[in-house]
This record gives sequence, C-alpha cells and structure tokens, in this order.
Amino acid sequence: MSAPAPGAPVIEARQLTRRFGSFTAVDAVSFEVERGEIFGYLGANGAGKSTTIRMLNGLLAPTSGTARVAGHDVAADPDSVKASIGYMSQKFSLYLDLPVMENLLFFGGAYGLFGKALRVRAGELLELTGLAGQDAAITGSLPGGMRQRLALAGAILHRPEVVFLDEPTAGVDPVARRAFWRLIRQLSSGGTTVFVTTHYLDEAEYCRRIGLMVDGRLVALDSPAGLKRTWVPDRVLVARGQGLAGAAAALAGRDGVRSVQPFGAGLHLRVDPARLDEAGVGRILSAAGAREVVVDRAEPSLEDVFLAVVGREARGEAVT
Amino acid sequence: MKGRIRRSLVRIYAMAAKEGRHIVRDPRTLYMSLGMPVLLLFLFGYGVAFDIDRIPLAVVDQDRTESSRALVHALTASRELVSVGELPDPAAVLGAFRQERAVAALVVDEGYERALLAREVVPVQLLVDGADALVANQLLAKADALVRAESQRLASAEVGETTPPVRVKVWTRYNPDGRSAFYMVPGLAAYLLAITAVLLTALTIAGEWERGSMEQLFASPIGRLEIVLGKLLPYLGLGLLEFLLVVAFGMIAFDLPMRGSGFALALLGLVFLLGMLGQGLLVSVIAKNQTVATQAGTMSSLLPSLLLSGMIFPIENMPVVLQHFSRVIPARYLVHGLRGVLLKGNGLDVLWPDLLALAVFALVVIGLATARFQRRLA
Repeated sequence: MSAPAPGAPVIEARQLTRRFGSFTAVDAVSFEVERGEIFGYLGANGAGKSTTIRMLNGLLAPTSGTARVAGHDVAADPDSVKASIGYMSQKFSLYLDLPVMENLLFFGGAYGLFGKALRVRAGELLELTGLAGQDAAITGSLPGGMRQRLALAGAILHRPEVVFLDEPTAGVDPVARRAFWRLIRQLSSGGTTVFVTTHYLDEAEYCRRIGLMVDGRLVALDSPAGLKRTWVPDRVLVARGQGLAGAAAALAGRDGVRSVQPFGAGLHLRVDPARLDEAGVGRILSAAGAREVVVDRAEPSLEDVFLAVVGREARGEAVT
Repeated sequence: MKGRIRRSLVRIYAMAAKEGRHIVRDPRTLYMSLGMPVLLLFLFGYGVAFDIDRIPLAVVDQDRTESSRALVHALTASRELVSVGELPDPAAVLGAFRQERAVAALVVDEGYERALLAREVVPVQLLVDGADALVANQLLAKADALVRAESQRLASAEVGETTPPVRVKVWTRYNPDGRSAFYMVPGLAAYLLAITAVLLTALTIAGEWERGSMEQLFASPIGRLEIVLGKLLPYLGLGLLEFLLVVAFGMIAFDLPMRGSGFALALLGLVFLLGMLGQGLLVSVIAKNQTVATQAGTMSSLLPSLLLSGMIFPIENMPVVLQHFSRVIPARYLVHGLRGVLLKGNGLDVLWPDLLALAVFALVVIGLATARFQRRLA
C-alpha cells in the first residue's frame, strides 16, 4: 500500500491516451485532482469522458500514458485502484427486482463489507440519501431521483477516497438533480474526491474546477470563473423592453457587437466593452423604435464558455 | 493471506446471496426449475412408453379353417395385438394402413390347413406398417416369437411329446417386465436437469451484461472466479433440489426402484449439475445477451442430451462417429450412472468412470468460462 502523501493529488493523469483501432477516444490528457475537490468533466457525447473514467477506475487499460488514482497505478495495479474508489456508471446498474436494502448489502459485500458493520453503514447511507424507511421497497418501483441516490449510496458504502460519477443526473428532474448535488457537496466537504461528468452546464457551476473535453482532447481546465474570464472576454448584456424584435436588426453588424440572440422576451448580446457599452446599446435600440429599453450586464454562463471553446476548436484555432 | 481469503469469501457470499434473492423473487425461475420438470416427467413418463400394447391387426383369412383361426388366436391372445376385423383380400391391406385402421396385417392363403396336414412348409404373410420404425421393429420381434411358439405347438401336437434339444430360459434382471418407465425416468432426469441447469445459468451472466451491471461489478474488487462461483452456488442448490424432486417423483409415480445408495445418487447428481451449470456459464459469458444465450443454451443441452445420451436411442446402435461424439455429452454418463444406481444398485466401485468423466467435464467448462470471462471491458 502506497498511501499518497497528504497534499499530493488524488488523481494524476499524464498524457493518458486510449485508441480503439484507428480512432483516438482520449488523446494525451493530463490533469491532477486534489483531495476533496469536486472535479467536473465536461464535453459533448463521444468527447471521451466515459473512456477517461474507465481508464481511471481500472476498467480499460490505457494505450499510452499513465494515471495514478489514490496512490495506485491504474495499469499496473487496477485491483488496488478498484478497492479505493467508488463508481457510478452512466446507466446506474441497480438490481431493480431486489429491495433497496438488498442492493446495498450486495454492493457492500462486493467491497468486502459484511455483518453488522455493513448493516449499520447501509442504514447510515439510507439516512444520508433521504431513503430512510425505504429499505424494503422494490428498487424498480422508486422514482428516478431516488434510484440515483441509491446508486450513489451503493458506490460510497466502503468509504472510497474517490468517487467517479458518470453522468449521474442524466434523465432526472431538476428538483432531484439539486438534491443530488447537495449530496455531492456534502461528500466533498467530508474529504471525498468527486470526479463527475455531466453535460448539464448549470450543474458544472458547482464544481471547483472543470475540464473541457472536445474530440478526445482536454482543451480547457480551470475554475468556472477562470474559464469565463479566459474564454468569454466579451461583455454579456441582456436587453428588455417593447418592440425589441423589430429593433434587433439595427444592432447586427454595428461596430463592437459580437452576437445578438433572442432570449425569452428580450435580447442576449455579446459586445466588445472597449467599443460599446450598455448605454450605447440602449441608444441604438431606442433609435430603431424599441420602447422602455433596459440594458443590464449579465454574468457569462458556462454555456457561453462551452460555445466559445467548441467554436474555436471548430475553426481550428490554436488554444491559448 | 488469511484476510485475503476471508474478503474473497465475503464477496462470493454476497454474490451468491444476491443471486439467491433473484431466484426467490422470480416465479419463472422457480417454475422452470421445479414445476416444469415434474410436469414434463409426468407427460413423458406416461406418453413416451415404448411397450407395445393393443396394436391393431387386420386379418385376411382366405383359408377359413379351424387351423387358420387357431393361428389368429395365437397372435392376438396376449392382447399385444388386437384383431380389428377381417379384410376381404390382401389388396385391401394397404388401404387399411393408410387409413391407420391397422398397423399390421396377417395374410393366410387358401390351403393353409391342407398344407399343414400334408406336412409341407407353410408360408404365412405378416405385413407391417413401417412408418413408425420403433413400433414396427418391436412388433416383428413379437410376432416372430408368437408364430414360432404356434409352430412348435403344432409340431408337438403332431408328433406327440417331444423335448426340444436346447431350451433357452430367458431371465431378465433389473427390469423383468421390460417397463420403459424404468429406463426412461433416469434418462428424463438427465435431460431435464441438463436443460434447466444450462438455461438457468446461461441467463444470469448475460443478464448482467444486458442490465449494465457487469460494468459495475468489474469496477468493484470482485474477481472473475468469485463472480462465477457466486453465481454457481445458488443454482447448484436449486438444481440438486430439482434432481431429488425428479427422482422422488419417478419413484412415487412410476414405481421406479432405488436399489443403490442415496450418497451415490446425490454425488452423481452433484457432479453432473456442476458441469451443466458450468456449460450455462460458458454460454452466457460468450453470448452477452439473453436471447442468444437462451438459444445457444437450449441447443447445446437439449439436443445432445435427448439424442446422444442413450436416453432413448441406444448408443450402441449409433454410427461410430456419433458414438465417439456422445463421449463428450455429460448426459450420457448421468443416464448410464443413474440406471446403474437406481436399477442395479451399483456403488461407487462401478460408478467411478462415470463420475470421473462428469468431473472432468465440469472442470473443463468452469475453467473455460472463467478464462473466457474478461474482467476488463476491452
């Protein structure tokens, strides 16, 4: 057992690469994840998120590169990696024909827990995940949000150092998603490292750092705020008022205007702050016939970041 | 080391307990393993009886004398052949066969009695519908014996008391009445166990792949052999229960004797089941989805166990190639061993070659299944 030194990264990927035939699913990815961090891994479907996770938890051997998880090399010692992590796969695989408690007892047993200790721990987790009293309910009869929390409970019974969650909130309603993220934050504050993939950009805001995958490459890695500063230098403005739809055309092509998009009843625009400000936008819109115009500055969202990154990649520009 | 073994046992137990709960919660599994075999045994045991009984015989008696009537009586007296009436001439026989009014026809030509009295050799024709070869063969043997007895009777009536120079006294041991249930039930037990055991396990691993839970298992410390053993144990218990149920049912419903020891019987069943469950695992490790696993499992267990085990068709009568092929069919050894234990009271001293063959098969398939079972995804 080579326990990582305190302060050493819990996950360390160096030039991690995986090819399937001539297709490179993950291309020389390097990053580190600190203890207790919530690390978000973002990207479109097929960008290489699940393949990265499967290499990190010992399910797939890397084609080249190395990774250490909880102090163990994933290629040389996958069994030690498996014992120190929790994993919740994309299609969370509970046994739907079994009662809630039986699922927990099985997954606990798979990690070597048994007897009274296992039962006590399972009870604790039911409490933590808001499933207390559901012990005997057949898993298949539970709503999606509860099943998802049960799957998480199954992945952390053995108190793993790192939990890998592959799209844990796919297909779950917004209220349940929020409850789930409360659990993730709770885990993280207890010292568990959480590595989570998602394509819900609103959720990614909860992560301390985010890695952005495009076509197998990690093209950006920073905190949500840092990503926004780097990738969306434009000012994001929201205009509200009457008759905006007709006046919007007047903004297109104006000096300093980067993009104009209808957003609800208003307009969502990105401007170069050096050439055009809120007051300027208001004047143009009013002159074009809009009334009661109010223009506010908006925080750029991760969606803006994502679009900017993907857009630059698509244009083939170098990443700074 | 000790801690390692203990953790491994905990994982195997967790796997077995989970699998056991799936079984208990799935009425189909219980029906398939306990209900269906008894039902099938009942149907087969009564339906697949090869004893000939009341075979319809048409008679074309063109002699119409006391002697010819005596011959007909001799053939039908034992009720194994039953006269269904007279036909006017031999040409009508084929019509009777086609309409299935008769399976056999006796044609006695005119002049039968005259020829008998003249001490000539008398030809008598027996026509048999060969569409069902099994019935035809048994019928021919039976008719031959009956006619021989009749001619002997005639000969001795003629000469007065004679003692034939050689007298064979046939004494059939173990199944003196020649009841087909006695050799069918052990065969059926093998057949039913083979199908259900292979099918039950073929479904389980394929089910994990389909459900997506296999990936979850692979991401946990649970090992290949632990998954395989954990899956085998509960089905082994269920299979043994099924085996005992089938044998007990055979004893109650068909008066199947049990002349050997319960230990020999249980050991035979256990080793056979291990092999069949292993075969099911191998199928499902390769198939990865339940539909293919079901088909492959059925094909690989049902047909060989039915056709090549010696359950219905004697292995000695098969083409040499199939005789050799039947050596890798475990059902062959179970059928042979079971008949030995149940009917002859054989002990381990005689059974060991069967047990050894079954054990080798079990080791090979479980080993193959484990080796073929990749714990990594690609």
